[in-house]
Amino acid sequence: MSNWPTQTEFLGKNTPRLEGAAKVTGAAKYSSDQQPEGWLYAMILRSKWPSAIIRSINLEKAKASAGIKAVAAVKDGERHVRYYGEELAAVAGTSKQACLDALRLIEVDATPQPFVVDPVEAIKPDAPKVFSDAPNLGEAKLKEEGDIAAAFAKCDVIVEGEFSTQVQIHHPLETHGNTIHVKDDACTAWASTQGIFSVRDGLSGNLNIPQNRVRVITEFMGGGFGAKFGPGVEGSLAAKLSRETGLPVKLMLTRFDESLAVGNRPSSYQKIKLGSDKEGKLLAFDLDAFGSAGFASGGSSAGGGGGAGFPAPYIYKIPNIRAKHAGVAINAGSSRAFRAPGHPQGSFGMESILDDLAVKLGLDPVDIRLKNDPFEIRQKEYAIGREKFGWAQKYRKPGSSPGPIKTGVGVAGATWGGGGKGTKAQATINPDGTVEVRCGTQDLGTGAKTVVALVAAEVFGIPPEKIAAKIGDTDFPASGGSGGSTTTASVSPAIFDVCTKALKELQTLSGVADARGANFESACRKLGMQPVVMQGEWIEGLSSSGAGGVQFAEVEVDTETGFVKVKKILVVQDCGLVVNRLTAESQVNGGVITGLGYALYEQRVMDAQTGVCLNPNFETYKLPGAADIPDIEIVLLDMPERGVIGLGEPVVIPTASAVANAVANAIGVRINSLPITPDKVLAALGLVPPRAASVSEDLETSFAAVEDAHAVAGDFTEDVPV
Amino acid sequence: MKNFEYITAQSPASAAALLGENGRYLAGGVDLLGEMKEYIVSPPRVVNVKTIPGSAGESLRDGSLRLGANTTLAAIAASERIQELAPAVAEAAAEVGSPQIRNVATLGGNLAQHSRCWYYRQRDVTCLKKGGNTCYGREGENKYLSIFSGNPCVSPIVSNLAVALAAIDARVSVYRKNRETELTIPELYEDAWDNPLAQNSLKPGDLITSVTIPSGPGKSTYLQMSEKSDFDWALVSCAVFSKFQDGKVSGARIALGCIAPVPLIAEEAGRFLEGKVLDESTAAQAAELALAKATPLAHNGYKVPIAKALIRRSLLKLRA
Repeated sequence: MSNWPTQTEFLGKNTPRLEGAAKVTGAAKYSSDQQPEGWLYAMILRSKWPSAIIRSINLEKAKASAGIKAVAAVKDGERHVRYYGEELAAVAGTSKQACLDALRLIEVDATPQPFVVDPVEAIKPDAPKVFSDAPNLGEAKLKEEGDIAAAFAKCDVIVEGEFSTQVQIHHPLETHGNTIHVKDDACTAWASTQGIFSVRDGLSGNLNIPQNRVRVITEFMGGGFGAKFGPGVEGSLAAKLSRETGLPVKLMLTRFDESLAVGNRPSSYQKIKLGSDKEGKLLAFDLDAFGSAGFASGGSSAGGGGGAGFPAPYIYKIPNIRAKHAGVAINAGSSRAFRAPGHPQGSFGMESILDDLAVKLGLDPVDIRLKNDPFEIRQKEYAIGREKFGWAQKYRKPGSSPGPIKTGVGVAGATWGGGGKGTKAQATINPDGTVEVRCGTQDLGTGAKTVVALVAAEVFGIPPEKIAAKIGDTDFPASGGSGGSTTTASVSPAIFDVCTKALKELQTLSGVADARGANFESACRKLGMQPVVMQGEWIEGLSSSGAGGVQFAEVEVDTETGFVKVKKILVVQDCGLVVNRLTAESQVNGGVITGLGYALYEQRVMDAQTGVCLNPNFETYKLPGAADIPDIEIVLLDMPERGVIGLGEPVVIPTASAVANAVANAIGVRINSLPITPDKVLAALGLVPPRAASVSEDLETSFAAVEDAHAVAGDFTEDVPV
Repeated sequence: MKNFEYITAQSPASAAALLGENGRYLAGGVDLLGEMKEYIVSPPRVVNVKTIPGSAGESLRDGSLRLGANTTLAAIAASERIQELAPAVAEAAAEVGSPQIRNVATLGGNLAQHSRCWYYRQRDVTCLKKGGNTCYGREGENKYLSIFSGNPCVSPIVSNLAVALAAIDARVSVYRKNRETELTIPELYEDAWDNPLAQNSLKPGDLITSVTIPSGPGKSTYLQMSEKSDFDWALVSCAVFSKFQDGKVSGARIALGCIAPVPLIAEEAGRFLEGKVLDESTAAQAAELALAKATPLAHNGYKVPIAKALIRRSLLKLRA
């Protein structure tokens, strides 16, 4: 049971973001908007080679170039760069043009090395090695429960399938970067980050400046999705250039940079065998899988996370399991935690093959989920969604929709933790009846600042506009990084605690027994000259974790052109107590849109011949646009008794799976690879000559290599940086 | 991009005179600035032709419609006269990019735009079209590339307007060597068919000044298919034109884009339709003929069924 008030004035209502007007008018100043006196522009030189030994870098001409104030190499001495786009050096100057010109004057003496950018190729024994002292195919993790051989022998129905998912790039609309000023052995950084304290600690370490002399400010930021936890190489370079010049240095990545070097969702290749009894009760699951997180997972600036593993058999309870997974190194930028790391991959394979099984059994896809999903909340959600979506009227036999443009429906579920703790906060009640709440969290776009104000408003019974919510500054009481959907569940209880204590103190000092609401201002006036200043922190009983969600999708597939149009997505999602309905629904919309990109459009394309990324831009890395967004209907399962639970991540997970199942339902053939583009649809329909036999053979060889690979016992663990 | 000189021209003659060696004309800048930012071209001088007096807008001349090269795509899409006289052209303009792009992009720039092949546009790849030795697209990631080509480069023409104007047999006026020359759409692009270095048939210093939509009877329409619903390049584009006599096809022209280095005119399919009634069957047969000689690569065979579907659908739309 939670300790939140049962009757609320502000919580769970529709409050627009308090900073909304500032954001849409441009008044909000982001890291890239900062222009401290004397600031310099900075840019990074990146490797043109997918793999090369860098013998030397000559920065002299760049340094002498007009307008350039400082230059810096990432590392001194000989080094091996392992992907196209790896950072080599940076320049700082008085204009962007000065930096662009200087970058072209840097001389790099490099010896190109053989490279491999395709995980299937990288597994082959004769493939170039990403690291000379290690095989590209890493040690596998193996999870075994029960006895799959015996169980499959008893199954009435068995389905097998191979599935793959692409590399997706985070692409926050605000790129990575910082404006940093290092002077007099102190550092101020305006960082585009989802973790101000991890950036502070990172810069402190890089600069060897004590933590109490490093201040990181992130009042506004334009998205991170898991890729913005540390200062990054770009932050270290900006700090270095600032220290050298004594001037503030702004180093924001370009969209090109953003495509290469600051994280991605790893690819996956999954060979699955699934068996059940004739009622559809799942009995056995077998998986061989691999994927690539690039040249290395995580990376020094990623704050951990981002391996290529994924949860399997995802949300389903199966008594007999064998799941083996290995990571493959390739010459490409490394992954970072990306909104629900691992889950969308795991969901796509499992939800796809589960529908294939349902078709084979003649079972309704919702029924087979109800039969095998052990989570009570999702059971409830399937029932609500089925009714609301009109599933019974819309679901028909696969491929049976008439005409060239076929309709189909699909469903999928998701799980996520979403708990949080560890936030501290301070509240000040002023004699004039205003309140200031300070908390060292940051708003990566979820509406954290509004959440802070709403919780305070609820406790004091005064409008949120009366609360000055101050966040995004390491001078404020510490909070964790905004990752793992933990922010709201971590921050709200701390604000509740500090405000409750402050209210109590106000009541004691003023002698007003109930200082809430209409009495608040008059109670404050009795404070005289002394404001109430109170510290508080996250406490038990106001938040929990374990969010379930399900999504239903309706699509139209043009069987003559392969075009897929998503008509509707219905989201039924649990997040415990809804703190602010508007921003919660906004999170759901954002998750679904990212999921649609994963389902239909987005994919990093690497060229095997040259090792470069072919779509480092929004022209050919295709993000969903306004015209691609379907009707998104949201049902939030209000369960205030559970306390606050984060929902940023679970809502991104099942979208692609539900869409893929809807496409399969529409055309009667499974597209087993994301994104579902027209070429794949037409190929599945037999309208395009089949791919060369060698492609399938190579894939089989890769799965066989994973099956044979040395393994340690282990399961996928969410390595979410917080 | 590299620093450059910027000069505004007052006439086609002054533009040509100011261009100098390796200079480039700038109108909407949508294509040129992208190339410059990626260092694919680095002209020492950029000549602004956008403000040449009289270079934008439409005018009627002997029943045919003259469109200044600086007419924006937004204006073409919105023009009631074009919608009536040559709907394919208005429809093709409406499908380009986004509203922001259409508001600045010009007719001349759309026709003269360079390759969008992602090897060509990659700043660190020197492909055949950029003077290198290899067309990486042939063996590589050729999903968006040509299924017809007369040379080793498989970069397709992606101009929507070129396809629509090819179907209606428009004429393009080019200021060339101190005089206006009139080219057909096939003439404007023919060099790109067999020369991998050519983007079109324009020579250094050539400036597109206007396009003339012919007078006369006939119906036209344009369809394209992209991966996204909006703001995306076409995978295949298709424009068709035909006159009808007693309900029968006369002088049909089918033009296809994004599948060859030039707007592909399906002449055989056009001849097949002559004197026939358009229906599901004749439209399908025309589509088969148009694609019969396609030579798809490893990843772009899917363009064949899409092209066929677009031909069928646009022909049937024409009939309606």
